[in-house]
Amino acid sequence: MKIKAFFYITSAAIIMLTACKKDNYAPPSSLLTGKVVYQGQPVGVRSNGVQLELWQRGYQLFTKIPVYIDQDGSFSASLFDGKYKLVRLKGNGPWADNTDSIDVTVSGNTVIDVPVDPYFIIKNEAFQKNGSNIDATFTVQAVNTSKSLEAVRLYLGLTTITDQSNNAANASKAAAAIDITQPVTLSAAIPAAATTKGYVFVRLGVKTAGVQELYYTAPQKVSLK
Amino acid sequence: MKTIYNILIISSLLTLMAGCRKDWLERTPQTIILEEQVWNDPKMILGLLANYYDRLPTDMGVDGNWRNMADYDDAMWSGYTGEDGRNNIISYAYSRWFFWDYGLIRDINLALESIDKYSTKLTDVQKKQFAAELRFVRANVYFELVKRMGGVPLITKQLIYDFSGDPTPLQFPRAKEAEVYDFIASEMDAIKEDLQNIANGTPSNTRANKYTALALKSRAMLYAGSIAKYNNLMASPITLPGGEVGIPAEKANEYFTKALEASKEIITSGAFALYKVNTGNLGENFYEAVVKKIGNKEAIFVRDFLSAKNKRHGFSYDNIPLGIREDNLSSSCITPSLNLVESYEYLDGSNGALKTRLPDNSDFIYYDNLQDIFANKDARLYGTVIYPGSTFKGLPVQIQAGVMKWNGAAYQTIEGSQLGAIYGGTAYPDGDGKLLVGSSGPHRSIQEVTNSGFYMRKFLDAGAGTSTRGILSDIWWVRFRLAEIYLNAAEAAFELNQKADAATWISALRERAGFGANSVTDATLTMDRIRNERRVELAFEDHRVWDLKRWRIADQVWNGQTGNPDNVVYALYPYRIIRPGDAARDGKYVFVKMVAPRFKAPRFFQMGNYYSAIDQGVLNNNPKLVRNPFH
Repeated sequence: MKIKAFFYITSAAIIMLTACKKDNYAPPSSLLTGKVVYQGQPVGVRSNGVQLELWQRGYQLFTKIPVYIDQDGSFSASLFDGKYKLVRLKGNGPWADNTDSIDVTVSGNTVIDVPVDPYFIIKNEAFQKNGSNIDATFTVQAVNTSKSLEAVRLYLGLTTITDQSNNAANASKAAAAIDITQPVTLSAAIPAAATTKGYVFVRLGVKTAGVQELYYTAPQKVSLK
Repeated sequence: MKTIYNILIISSLLTLMAGCRKDWLERTPQTIILEEQVWNDPKMILGLLANYYDRLPTDMGVDGNWRNMADYDDAMWSGYTGEDGRNNIISYAYSRWFFWDYGLIRDINLALESIDKYSTKLTDVQKKQFAAELRFVRANVYFELVKRMGGVPLITKQLIYDFSGDPTPLQFPRAKEAEVYDFIASEMDAIKEDLQNIANGTPSNTRANKYTALALKSRAMLYAGSIAKYNNLMASPITLPGGEVGIPAEKANEYFTKALEASKEIITSGAFALYKVNTGNLGENFYEAVVKKIGNKEAIFVRDFLSAKNKRHGFSYDNIPLGIREDNLSSSCITPSLNLVESYEYLDGSNGALKTRLPDNSDFIYYDNLQDIFANKDARLYGTVIYPGSTFKGLPVQIQAGVMKWNGAAYQTIEGSQLGAIYGGTAYPDGDGKLLVGSSGPHRSIQEVTNSGFYMRKFLDAGAGTSTRGILSDIWWVRFRLAEIYLNAAEAAFELNQKADAATWISALRERAGFGANSVTDATLTMDRIRNERRVELAFEDHRVWDLKRWRIADQVWNGQTGNPDNVVYALYPYRIIRPGDAARDGKYVFVKMVAPRFKAPRFFQMGNYYSAIDQGVLNNNPKLVRNPFH
């Protein structure tokens, strides 16, 4: 009797264990990585704010795979090998709409660059501690002139994740006060929390009228000591 | 032999039984109601209708989804700390306002067809009445759909699957956004004369009648008009190529005109009146205008609750100020923000910002009593918010954050770790033995006590025991009231450049709140003022987010930028001054404005929030649907 019971339990366990394996797919193993670039340079965005989308034809349900862009312009997605269309979502990032899809063939780990056409970019940025303020000097360059400039902003943050919705202090200058041919200066007071830490992360953003997301520069660490 | 007897007995018994009842197999079932029975019995149809009325959605209400009141800038969450996510909404989810209740639309379409098919014993008037009410509810559902999703498929008939294996006849594309609004207007025009529900000149406020239909038309047309106007004023208008979202600018005036006409018809009918019973206390009067059920001619359409029928809700239980709660758990969940309090103007028409410091910022302003800082404010503030020094249910709501003690050079701020604590005893040996922290807070970290320094008054039940779980409250939820119609009329008139009329309606509302006659004239009336009037008059009545959306300013007001005062919830903390020897200051009260301590992330409304994302399951089922922009 005991042997019989043992036999049943063992065989049930074996069936259950093998069943787990047999009916399940392997997880996607290929990694698609890349950067959103303008003239070969990565485009900075708000972390977790801007997305690309991937589509794959040939299946019954046609569902997009959202791919969020990191704040340094990079993105990654775990995928199955196959052919995908990569779409720059309309009205989403700080660049002009381009609804042409990019064909992507994923086979093993794949790297691609996604070229975009930003409205404005910031160049030659320099930051300096000036008393209890951080001064920024930079030039704004119009790339795609179909939309007008709204403002430039300086963000001070306590971590590298520094942007519009995550900062400790900020300053803004409206388009009317900016001569785009000249270097622009902006100044923001250093928050007390940064003073005690001894450093602050600074980042510049440029806002285009009618576009929600800003183009950001790479965050820089400025020592306050 | 025995077997034969048995067979004989059984078969004769069977014959007898079968013979007894002739229609044995054709009796009326006793546990199933047949279609013919339902649709020929006015009471049963009314029962169905009650269910459909009850299923009309809201973004916030007194029952179920009232917690959403804490998600915008009028209030914050001060209740159970596990729900602090409401103070920390990094950005509103694209699917936040998703709504796709075609189940309810199908039920209504089925009911309409069944009345046509089965109702033989009803009179023509009854049939028309029920059909019109069903169509009113359906139009209301379409309005809720269009303001969240943009254009949606307009389904006005039951869709029946033919089992052919091909579902395409059931798949309809999205109508244009303008078409859905036009549908609502044409339905209201078609049915408003069929709707009765007016007894002795008093329209029912729980069932649809002519004025309810006009009220829905007034609101829907105003929304359509402002989308037509303001969407096209954006730097990059939100549209889809097929017109599923976005309304052409040239239709704006047509919609505003319709909104104005519908509003005027309600106002001039005389069937409703602004609630002005409690003229001695204008603040109480405004509170009663929203919650009082008897003798209230202002309510046009409400979702009623009734203790006697055990239809009750726990809004009072969850939101009563801590110090006067009657149950032992929960309280103080939704607490209004300083932002809202300051949007109520002073009665002389000046900006409503509270005066806490001297104009040159050198010192506090010292108040004798806590409520003095709110003196001469719009009476609607009292009716909406319980502020420091005011009372509820006849009980004082003790709101004090701590004391400030003068040490010769500066103030030392002392806040206790307990509510209702005394500044003295062993914890504070040099204390004066008077109150340290009010029994209703505010407190920076304790849950279920106000974190913003204010409490809700609107929709809170003043009846005894109504904040206990045993009794609960039966305050109604107002879907439409006359004050909104005044505001709709004023806004539509203003958009059509009839400023004198607009000023008259706005002034009427302000007069009820304690302002002088004609406090707004056509010279001083601006769009910003109308918008602010809507915010203060209709606070917590499910208008703010929809208003900001249709004016297309939500992404600017709640832009997610830290430091933007509009999208951060502010608090007001009162302190008692201890400064012996200085009679002008000792024992007085000062107020400190600050970002509410439990509030973390600024409100961030993204462009993709103007129209809610359509659920992937819905898109999978119907490939003819197109996605909304930015999703």
